[in-house]
Amino acid sequence: MHSRSTPPTSALGGALPRRSLLLGTAAAGLGLAAPPLVAQTPETLIVNAYGGEFQPIFEETVLRPFAQKFGVQVTYDSAGTASEDYARIRASRGAPGFDVAAELTPPEILLGARERLLEPLTEATVPNLRHLWARSRDMIPPVGIVHSYQYTALIWNTQKIARPDTWRDYWEPGKRYGETIRQHVINYNPGNLLSIYALIMAAKLGGGGVDNMEPAWALLRAQKPYVGTVVTTSAQAAPYFENGQVWLSPYWSARAVYYRDEGYPIDLMVPSDGTIGLANCAAIPVGSRNKRLALEFLNFRLDRDVQRAFNLGYKTSPARPDIDWPDDFKAAQITTEAQMAALDFPDNAVLAAKRREWTMRWQEIMAA
Amino acid sequence: MNTHEDGLLIGSLRTWLLIGLPTIFLLVFFVSPTLYLFSASVMISDSVPLEQPSLENYELLLSRPLYRWIILRSFGVGLAVGALVVLLSYPVAYFLVRTTSRWKGLLIAITLSPLLASVIVRTYGWYVILNHEGALNGLLMWLQLVEQPLRLLPSTAAIIVGLSHALLPYGVLSIMSSLNGMNPALERAAMSLGATRTNTFLKVTLPLTLPGVMGGFILAFSLAISAYATPAILGGPATETMATTIRSFMVALLDWGLGSAMGVILLASSLTLLLLGTLLGGRKASAA
Repeated sequence: MHSRSTPPTSALGGALPRRSLLLGTAAAGLGLAAPPLVAQTPETLIVNAYGGEFQPIFEETVLRPFAQKFGVQVTYDSAGTASEDYARIRASRGAPGFDVAAELTPPEILLGARERLLEPLTEATVPNLRHLWARSRDMIPPVGIVHSYQYTALIWNTQKIARPDTWRDYWEPGKRYGETIRQHVINYNPGNLLSIYALIMAAKLGGGGVDNMEPAWALLRAQKPYVGTVVTTSAQAAPYFENGQVWLSPYWSARAVYYRDEGYPIDLMVPSDGTIGLANCAAIPVGSRNKRLALEFLNFRLDRDVQRAFNLGYKTSPARPDIDWPDDFKAAQITTEAQMAALDFPDNAVLAAKRREWTMRWQEIMAA
Repeated sequence: MNTHEDGLLIGSLRTWLLIGLPTIFLLVFFVSPTLYLFSASVMISDSVPLEQPSLENYELLLSRPLYRWIILRSFGVGLAVGALVVLLSYPVAYFLVRTTSRWKGLLIAITLSPLLASVIVRTYGWYVILNHEGALNGLLMWLQLVEQPLRLLPSTAAIIVGLSHALLPYGVLSIMSSLNGMNPALERAAMSLGATRTNTFLKVTLPLTLPGVMGGFILAFSLAISAYATPAILGGPATETMATTIRSFMVALLDWGLGSAMGVILLASSLTLLLLGTLLGGRKASAA
């Protein structure tokens, strides 16, 4: 049995006073608990992208292959939506703590160019830019890349209602489905592009468009009594599809396919009156601590093999036309120049200019 | 003499240090962001920096009935939550202070336990209870009291209920401290002179504990008026509050000018009301 006064012995065999031992242990503990003084080595890349079901697919098809190819460490930052991520970039004046904003949408890229908070890109710094669809290069200013495409689909609960045909079925659900659908339609806050795109389609139904949104407001008023749920992000909507509370919704095609394949009681379709495409973008904040690696990452993101693996995994359409695809993928996605040309992409500059006015109009109607 | 002067100097330094450190902290983390908020509200319009200060964000917010309603609704929610918290807290605090039960400590811990759970978790608890297919509608349907589920969410009432539940411990703590500081002999004296229990409560206990009541009300009001999570979860587009609107302007619309202007309105109006409340509470307490 040890005597209380017996000093512990150090590994080197000498006697170690109790106070020194305690201080040493505390210092070692602090050393282990405290963050390293240099939190980010030059060969660490911090990538910000979505969480949820997106994360494992993105990690497996993009991040791990990148880390292996370049022998670097990639840290995943899954906080925030596209607009939240841009808010972080703006609040930190271009140094948000991540090197790559991997999931932005065109309005944020446009704002980033205007506010000079995103790094300019050229074919010299991102050589794979030359392989993209022609439209990809015109769609956004040269401070970001379009790495994949989705489209605005309509999804419906296959156990509750019949397949919708047109956007009118979403905007005037009572006419198509009667009173049973009351409270089972979802609407999105215009903070989400999904809402803006659905409103543009509503305007088109009445002969309008981005220059005349009056038909959309009339349809929003008509739809309101049938709306049971209003959310902002598409991820927030997913539980309502799963529990059967929402029967009819516009939704991004990739997420819709994912949830359908996960066993949610939903399916997706492209309305007969057409739809709008979404360009998924990535960019580098001007204050990125590792721009060289960030540029390599954007280039890698557009690499043919990486494109194939990611788009097959996440069910999005590719950023470039020169890839061979399985037939079932080709049937559901945009893989040819002709399909790309047929897809409607609203003018992002007009969208950026009118979004505030539209949001206020939406708020006024939904709050009335 | 020198030692005495040294002592005075050290004492004075200590005092300045005690005042100076919190002051610096407040300057850095409260005053400067508030100044930035104010400057953004007059120097940014529709995401574009202005060359000269302009009040157009304020004009826009105050000219649209929607935003005027949002401001009024936020105050309504704050006042309702403050009143409900005080009303519900008082009997609980009274019981906890006066009980001689050996479980008193445990009862206090249970009362304050909501503070240990995240406000998000507590609010989602209310969501599970109140939503269209939720527990309350299930119970009402099972009891055949209603034929169709009631639309309890989103609603301002749900926001008030959720916030009152979340903020109840603050009211209990504030009123308990007042009750603890009151001399119980005063109540006994009133009753020995013929006052009924009700009269004793209304004329002795309540006036003496008014500072605690006002403290609880002001705490609940100020936390409720600026709360984001509960209105975001239990509310909807028709029940927006200032906090949810600020978030929508700042993050979804990326319009910092408009968001900052709403932030300044929230800050200025709630500070004014708090100041009035504090003055009123202080005057009533000194009168009592």
